[in-house]
Amino acid sequence: MTRLLDSPHIETLAREESVRGVLVRMTLEQAEHADSQELMLLENALQLLLTRFQSMEGDIS
Amino acid sequence: MILRSVELESFGRFRGQSVEFRRGMNLVIGPNEAGKSTIAEAVPAVLFGTNRLEKFKPWGRNTCSAVLFFEGQKRTIQIKRNLITDEVELIEKDDLYHVLSQFSGKVPLRGRNAICREYRALLESLLGVADESLFLATYFFGHQPQEWRGDELAQKLRTLVSGTAEADYAEILDSLLDEHFQLTRKNPWGRDKQRDREYDELCRQMVEQGEAEPLESVPVSAGADHLADIKEQIERLSCELENDQQEHEKGLRYIDHIRHQVAETSEKPVSKTVERKQETRNRSGSKPDLACQLAAAGLPHNPPRELPGLLTEAAEVRQEFAELQHPFSVLNDREKKIPEVPWLTLCALVAVLIAGIAVAWWQSFQSLWISLGGGISCAMLLGWGGWHHNVRKKALAESRQERTRLEQKKQAAQKRQAELSERCESLGLPSSAVDLVRLQKLVTAHRELLENFWNQGGLAVTDSDACKDMSDREGEEATKVIDAPSGSAEVKQELAELEVLMADFEVEFKQKQRHLQDLHQQLKELSADRQSCVINTGAALHQRKQELEERISVLRKAINLLVGAVDEFSRSHLTRLNQEASKLFRKMSDGRYPALKLDENMVPSVQVDDRRWVPAEHLSKGTVDAIYVALRIALAKVRDDGRSLPLMLDDPFVHLDQKRLATTLNLIDLAAADGQLILFSHNLELGKRAARERWHVIPLDGDTIDTSSMEGEGHAGQLHLL
Repeated sequence: MTRLLDSPHIETLAREESVRGVLVRMTLEQAEHADSQELMLLENALQLLLTRFQSMEGDIS
Repeated sequence: MILRSVELESFGRFRGQSVEFRRGMNLVIGPNEAGKSTIAEAVPAVLFGTNRLEKFKPWGRNTCSAVLFFEGQKRTIQIKRNLITDEVELIEKDDLYHVLSQFSGKVPLRGRNAICREYRALLESLLGVADESLFLATYFFGHQPQEWRGDELAQKLRTLVSGTAEADYAEILDSLLDEHFQLTRKNPWGRDKQRDREYDELCRQMVEQGEAEPLESVPVSAGADHLADIKEQIERLSCELENDQQEHEKGLRYIDHIRHQVAETSEKPVSKTVERKQETRNRSGSKPDLACQLAAAGLPHNPPRELPGLLTEAAEVRQEFAELQHPFSVLNDREKKIPEVPWLTLCALVAVLIAGIAVAWWQSFQSLWISLGGGISCAMLLGWGGWHHNVRKKALAESRQERTRLEQKKQAAQKRQAELSERCESLGLPSSAVDLVRLQKLVTAHRELLENFWNQGGLAVTDSDACKDMSDREGEEATKVIDAPSGSAEVKQELAELEVLMADFEVEFKQKQRHLQDLHQQLKELSADRQSCVINTGAALHQRKQELEERISVLRKAINLLVGAVDEFSRSHLTRLNQEASKLFRKMSDGRYPALKLDENMVPSVQVDDRRWVPAEHLSKGTVDAIYVALRIALAKVRDDGRSLPLMLDDPFVHLDQKRLATTLNLIDLAAADGQLILFSHNLELGKRAARERWHVIPLDGDTIDTSSMEGEGHAGQLHLL
């Protein structure tokens, strides 16, 4: 797992009953079977999507 | 969990006031500007923070804080926030006032540090929500627009199901697709786009470079021509310096020889005629001695008799070459001076004239005269261009003829020079022009010595003849030696001239060496620059390609994820949402509309009979508002079965007629039965119903408002959040 996918913010989002929540859950499911390269891609894609959803701004730390 | 009270210590127009709520239906009623929306907005502002502090900060005060009290089964939660410092205090207590959990820290709206995470985790465990946008999308229900236009209702619903207050997932998907197709024409979800984008053009550019020439030799600047010039200059100068070096060594040897002669002459007095005679006899007395003298003078070991003729012929050839140089340079200058026809300018002028004619015809302004004038001008311009072109063509043809003639002469001279070189080589003589010039000088200077050599070597002499010849020559030599003072002066003068020439030559030689060094340095710098430029350009292309590929991959993954998430949400949530909304809407419409459903794009439609579904946009405004209310309550139920937090409705029914308003309020009342609902309204008629239905009413009027802070506010409009 990477920093973003491991973050508490993502855990919180994953519990939401919304498109955003489903999106995070699907990403986490895919991340379980992903290699490091795929994991990085998933993280970048999720970060991009969440930024568009305005649920996060820039760095997640 | 219900919201028991909101204490507005210093918040908006309120100061030190508390608003109490109860389980079930609550009605906050008051005229416009009474502060209803301020109370409503205080809830998310205290829970999550705000980026609109100026709106809530009381005028003229430096404090802005409020406290929320939530009450659940055998526990209470108190959350206090200073909106200026974002300091939050959260205390959870049981019914015996024992503290169960406590938090204190700075939690700004978008904070992501450990303290913020701790607070949000606590908030989620206590209230079931930790995200402002999801909170607003679920529990806040503002007044609706006068009329839903076009896709507005579906867009609003897509935003709400997305879990945010502002972002519509379809818009996000469109923006991702737009960005993807700005980078590449490749379309993994359908047919490729027609036009190449940045990534495709970059790939094509790299392929073209790879096929045409290796990356290292890609011409990247105009410095390539300069580089070739420098290389050519270096090559030419190196050859010259090599020849000059040989000449220099030979010249030094020759000067040594002359010095030696001068030294010998000065050591022996003129009166010693006998010794000089003997020396002359010794010097010219035998063929080997003559050969030694020739070698010392720098002449070939066995100079052939044809040498003077060959040297004369070589001088003629050189002269011929020198004479050819000038015509060539004149010819080049002449060709450069032949002017080119300015076709571009002419065409531009003609285009302007044609455009002018077209405008004149279009505007019907003196079109005939303008057309006539324009046509004549065009014809004159083109005619002048054609005439000029013919003149140039003729001049170039003449120049070519002249060049051909000169080339023929040059070829003839080259042929003659080649023959001369062959003859020189066959005689064992050097063939280079420089050597031949040097030889010619030596031959001229030592003509006598050579004559002696040839006379001795060319004649089959007998001993007596030889003796006679020798005695004759001795006599001649003796005469010459007697004249030694004048001969010595000539030699000295020649030596002086030679030394001056040699000094000049050395200066010139050193200058050439320095120039060669400079050229080498320039070549090195230019090569380094060019190489660096090539590497940088190539590396930049590769880097950009890599960046684009990464971005495209991320965009594709994001698009696929979002499409998958929307599909999954539709499968897993839409059915239940439709069921809940249908149940509510059926009640609201008194069974007139049995069902309500959202399609995969969140476009609502209503069942009007057993088989027929009508899109919501075809129904009346009141019906559409009722559909929206039903969907909002259904969405809140789907998201939060336990109803942790109250639904907050800020005058959402302003467009409903009295009958539908009554029905909707019934529905709202039902929805409040197992939870808490806070309705903010300015409709005084609702007050009567509230009294009849025993709702908890919180009136807002001038008595409850701290008017001391009202100046300059004007912020208490309707809830703008949703």
